Amino acid sequence: MTARLRDVAIVGFAQLPVVARDEHRMAAEMLYPVVREALAQCGVERDDIDYQVAGSTDYMDGRPFGFVMALDVMGSWPPRQDLHLEMDAAFGAHYAWLRMQTGEIDTALVVGHGKTSEGEPARVLNLQLDPYYQAPLGLDPVSTAALQASAFMARTGTTDGDLAEIAARSREAGARNPDAQVRTPASAEELRRTPWAVEPLREGYLPPVGETATCLVLAAAGRAERLCDRPVWIHGVDQRVELQTLGARDLTRSASARLAAERAFQMAGLAAASDVDVVELAAATPVEELILREALGLPRRGGPVVNPSGGPLCANPLMSTGAIRLGECFRQLAGRAGARAVPGARRAIAHATQGHCLQQNLVWVLGTERRWA
Amino acid sequence: MSAEPPKEPVKYVETTLRLPYHYVAGDWRATYLRALKDKRILGSRCTKTGKVIVPPVVASPESFAPCDPELVELPARGVVTTFCIVNIPVIGRSIELPYVAASVALDGAAISMYALIQECRPEEVRMGMRVEAVWKPDGERTGSHEDILYFRPTGEPDAPLASFIDRL
Repeated sequence: MTARLRDVAIVGFAQLPVVARDEHRMAAEMLYPVVREALAQCGVERDDIDYQVAGSTDYMDGRPFGFVMALDVMGSWPPRQDLHLEMDAAFGAHYAWLRMQTGEIDTALVVGHGKTSEGEPARVLNLQLDPYYQAPLGLDPVSTAALQASAFMARTGTTDGDLAEIAARSREAGARNPDAQVRTPASAEELRRTPWAVEPLREGYLPPVGETATCLVLAAAGRAERLCDRPVWIHGVDQRVELQTLGARDLTRSASARLAAERAFQMAGLAAASDVDVVELAAATPVEELILREALGLPRRGGPVVNPSGGPLCANPLMSTGAIRLGECFRQLAGRAGARAVPGARRAIAHATQGHCLQQNLVWVLGTERRWA
Repeated sequence: MSAEPPKEPVKYVETTLRLPYHYVAGDWRATYLRALKDKRILGSRCTKTGKVIVPPVVASPESFAPCDPELVELPARGVVTTFCIVNIPVIGRSIELPYVAASVALDGAAISMYALIQECRPEEVRMGMRVEAVWKPDGERTGSHEDILYFRPTGEPDAPLASFIDRL
């Protein structure tokens, strides 16, 4: 990377505690206080922000152009520059970062919203598969994750007990996160006794269905320092996508996460993943955590603290799970992580994913300092 | 296994999707819908501009300020701000053609709501025409938008353009 990249930082992050179903608020009503809070963290009004990006999915909303409802609560008047992605808001943050590289904007709001409880995620996410051969089989993300888990366990010798231990670690961490949906710790022994969801995945190894709203604020150098006393700088970022056909790729490895990580580390000047203090992975199962650890070059256990938030096993709101990884890394590095703070954390990796079995992966490298020597 | 290619090419694959949804109305809309059952139309007042938005919303889309959670009642009468005459059938709707679909700004509301205009000939409808709601009879209202059957002319003098041009 020879071209000089613009330094961009995360300067604010707000979310609602993740719940199974908010009976009192529509998605836009959940989003409004979150946008207000993120702006309040930065001490600015909406007019001070140049750009806005939203991540949501009409299929989950159950209405065409469902995302436009969010415009009404994002301070979109006078007319703003706006972008919507049918993706997790973390990918929206990447677009905002790219726009900042062009020099056209200095600040951006990035929101994630959607009420997972209003539709049926298994039916909706089945539609991500091809409509001829795979979707008609009724595959949902749990069954495809189970296919992936079987193959991975066969390749690596990973056992049911190993998965239980990873899930237990997430549950223990999630108990310290007031925004997590599942906040009761559970031992590996307990989790191993939970029934199969789809063998070899047990109910205790899977995320709860939940919903929230999230808002990140990004700002370029010059603005960032004025919006946040401890901006968290983006040192590297990259995303890669793989083939849609499940049979056409090795589900036990994530080539796209590996490549995205390599490129993001290269951009950041990060020699290895083990050089960071915190990693937040959008791993929907313990097997995905192991696949991502391998792809990023992390050891199977130990190394930097992985998912001190509890990760997706404790809260997995569609369209915001990746944004929360980014937000959690921001909280860790900006000294806002409360009881789950990793002491002295200076560098972090945030990961987000889309599609079945880690089809598309986005990797961020973040740090407390604007430049690394 | 037969290697015979099909005589007729496969032109399409039919797949049927079933995607059920279980919507949350939200406390603001729920209050609004319940009030319709009592022939009351509620709006929310922007805490910054004082403008009243109907149906009520949590924040003003225009000012970005929160609305007062204490909802305000609006009269079930107002002015036709704009309208169109529908001559084609709409799926799920069995109204006699042609009919008038209009935007009606209730008195005191900053924005208009969608409504049918009946009890007059379509060609009589005009911008500025004063109208009032005609409700479903007592006992038949369910707390839905359909509790207002339509709006009809009141016979009052037309409202001047300047009084509603900002409330289309």
